[in-house]
Amino acid sequence: MTYFARKFGFFLATLWAVVTLNFLIPRLQPGDPAEIMVKRMAGKDAALDQAQVEAMRAMLGTPTDSLWHQYLSYLGELIHGNFGLSYTYYPFPVTEVIAQAFWWTIVLVTVAQVLSFVGGVVLGAYAAWRRNSRFDSVVTLGSTFLGTLQVFWVSLLLLYVFGYSLGWFPTSGGYEEATPGWNWPFIQEAISHSFLPAFALLIVTPIGWILGMRNTMIMNLGEDYIRLAKAKGLPDRDVALKYAARNALLPSVTGFALALGGVLGGAILVETVFDYPGLGRLMGEAVEQKDYPLLQALMLLTTVGVLVANLAADLLYGVLDPRARRAE
Amino acid sequence: MTLLDVRDLSVRYEPKASRPLDAVQGVTFSIEPGEFVGLIGESGSGKTTLGTAVLRLLQRPGRISGGSIEFNGTDITDLPEDELRSLRWRDLSTVFQSSMNSLNPVVRVEGQFRDAIEQHSSLRGEAVTRRIRELFDMVIIDPKFMTAFPHELSGGMRQRVNLALALALDPKFILLDEPTTGLDVVVQHSILENVRRLQAEQGFAVLFISHDIGTVLDLSDRILVMYAGRIVEDQSAGALLREPLHPYTKGLLGSYGDPRDEIVKITYVPGRPPDLSRSMVGCSFAPRCPERIQVCLEEDPPLVPLNGGRAACHVAVLQRAEDGAETFGEPKRGFEGPQFVKTADESRSALTNEVVLSVENVSKVFERRRGLTVTRTQAVSDVSFELRRGEVTALVGQSGSGKSTLAKMITGVETPTQGRIVFHGPDGDRLVSGFKGRALRAYRSDVQMVFQDPYSSINPAKRLGYVLSRPLVNYQGLKGEELRERVKELLERVALTPAERFINRYGYELSGGQRQRVIIAKALAVEPEIIVADEPISSLDVSIRAEILELLNDLVKENDVSILYITHDLLSARMLSDEVIVLNGGKVVEKGPTLGVIRAPKDDYTRSLLDAIPNPF
Repeated sequence: MTYFARKFGFFLATLWAVVTLNFLIPRLQPGDPAEIMVKRMAGKDAALDQAQVEAMRAMLGTPTDSLWHQYLSYLGELIHGNFGLSYTYYPFPVTEVIAQAFWWTIVLVTVAQVLSFVGGVVLGAYAAWRRNSRFDSVVTLGSTFLGTLQVFWVSLLLLYVFGYSLGWFPTSGGYEEATPGWNWPFIQEAISHSFLPAFALLIVTPIGWILGMRNTMIMNLGEDYIRLAKAKGLPDRDVALKYAARNALLPSVTGFALALGGVLGGAILVETVFDYPGLGRLMGEAVEQKDYPLLQALMLLTTVGVLVANLAADLLYGVLDPRARRAE
Repeated sequence: MTLLDVRDLSVRYEPKASRPLDAVQGVTFSIEPGEFVGLIGESGSGKTTLGTAVLRLLQRPGRISGGSIEFNGTDITDLPEDELRSLRWRDLSTVFQSSMNSLNPVVRVEGQFRDAIEQHSSLRGEAVTRRIRELFDMVIIDPKFMTAFPHELSGGMRQRVNLALALALDPKFILLDEPTTGLDVVVQHSILENVRRLQAEQGFAVLFISHDIGTVLDLSDRILVMYAGRIVEDQSAGALLREPLHPYTKGLLGSYGDPRDEIVKITYVPGRPPDLSRSMVGCSFAPRCPERIQVCLEEDPPLVPLNGGRAACHVAVLQRAEDGAETFGEPKRGFEGPQFVKTADESRSALTNEVVLSVENVSKVFERRRGLTVTRTQAVSDVSFELRRGEVTALVGQSGSGKSTLAKMITGVETPTQGRIVFHGPDGDRLVSGFKGRALRAYRSDVQMVFQDPYSSINPAKRLGYVLSRPLVNYQGLKGEELRERVKELLERVALTPAERFINRYGYELSGGQRQRVIIAKALAVEPEIIVADEPISSLDVSIRAEILELLNDLVKENDVSILYITHDLLSARMLSDEVIVLNGGKVVEKGPTLGVIRAPKDDYTRSLLDAIPNPF
């Protein structure tokens, strides 16, 4: 039990550190966001109007008290889920902007990641079990080839072939005319819009799982416990699944949890190419527009996502691998 | 009826990247029900391949390329896996060599018994648990460990569990492939006794594969000797010990000696086994054989019945033919090869030299902190001894006895918690304690280490010339022609001659014995005062151990080097050391001149170590 308690303790400590850094880093940057906004609105070369800057500060609520007080109020706001207003989508609060993009990404990327992982691991395991067979060669060579392709290039290719040339799928956005919500026309539109981005992700993401699983499993197949399992006269299925795959899966589990944590960062390239209204595209915009409040909130979301996933991976690993529980 | 009948069996490896290799060549033997048969040979002789083939567990690129295996009347040579499966474990089971890894690490021990039992019997649920409990009792392990994971068991316990697992379905035949290699001598001894007792009670047949002729002689009814993929001798254990037929068997027997003798002689087999991927003319042992005659180089000797057993040796057959002794001489019992002799006199004189290292009341406590709790482990307590110039002191003890910790303190890696270690070097006395950086480097030019595993202590990406030049460049700043000369000199010093032939080779191209020579040469490069040798021969084949011991002994005699020899093996301690220190639980339990301790051990622990040495004589 101490294993789990310790992992949870580490999680809390890291979370606090992340939240604090998230507060400090933007404040260490030179430049005043209010000035930057005024500059952007007035044009680069125009002289700064101090009155305008003051007005902007008042509007943004840029704090003037000590760093410590700022920190406390930041924590307070954080607990209430208040990240301020987005500069780009002014005057919408950051939380609202994020909430709109949130589900688009979660559904698309999570589904793509889970399918990639399951498919990748199964293909990899089977290729390893039948190593040097034709199946193995096709899978291994195919993955190596596909692995050299960049995801944005694949996306553009899909967009060109299925979107523009064949016209089977819409080329941008998340939906057309339907009202967002739990209604059939909307769900239909959402699915048809997310099909190509999902397809692009599904071509590229399983590669790592396939090759990783295949290699670990081949290594495991040389272990003595596999030989012993065969000597015990267990059916091939049991040897492959309960002995080989079960052990080979362990390293992949951590990787998968981290990948799931990364979901909150969205798939920036794919979302941008397909103009998909998810978190990835939003992050791209926030960087481009120097939208600090939005960026800060997205960063926090991503890191917390990774941290939670990391914790989940540690806990899961503890369950799957009894050696980890005692290792420290 | 014969239980296992192997006829003319050949196994061929056909790797894609290199030449095909016949690891097993036309092997014929049989095992009767309930018979305990030993199979010995050095590494690479094909004994494990033969065992794997008998179990039909060969993996590609290996395959049975000829002959047949009949088990209990059924030909299993080409039996499809589906039909074979019903025989597996119920009739044929096994304990593998490195059973450290032969249990699935993520499944509780019980589960690994259960799947095998349920696969092959009608037992289910509680009945299976009862059977597992019974099996645990047989191998003397508390049944509470049933629910443990493999990593929670010690090496000895894991091996016992594997043995219990092999017995789960009352098999007719068990293959034991070096089941105790890597375990402590005392543990090894008790497990093998357990095996022998269970075998006598339950009557299963055993093929016991080992490289250790002492153990094999202790346990087996009959012994097969394997060399270069063939069986060269097959005799009952008693006959083999009394009158070995093949010179190779004599060589193996010669590597044993009685440590209690005033003068101990052990022989070694020079050279190395042939490369099985090349075809050769004549007897495969001929190049290493002291008894060879012209015909050995021309004709391959067949395995023929001789003296109630079988042997594949021209000389043995000719000598025993009518009037043979007149032409070919009387059969010899010993191996007339190079030998290494240790007399008790040599030791007596060494013990009067001046002291180079004194260890004074040294203790070491390890602290492990986790949160607020601190766990203390006393690894070494109150150890004192002196190491003299040109003397070898053996530190004997099993794992966990503190001998490695002591070695770490002496080599300046760890600091003693109490007491002190003083090195009386050429530049005056130096207090040894946890050196770092420059100080450690300076100390390294006086005290060097030789590690246990010669296979992983040479950089595989570098040629030997480079490997040996590193310490010379680092410590003596040699370069150019001078450096090259020194490297050659070092190679010659450890008898890797001619040096030109070795200087451009890679470590992995050498045999285990040659590699260990390279490691020793590397240690000698800085001309140290003391060499700490941690089990330098335990990973080598028995037939070549003596040659490394002899090399170390020569270094002591010729260069006045002192050696601290760490081992768990009292015979090798006797061969090399003048003084022995027996450690148990971090304490010195016995100390004195080697022969005296071995002849008249005062401590129970020393006695149990001595008892554990297989003594077939």
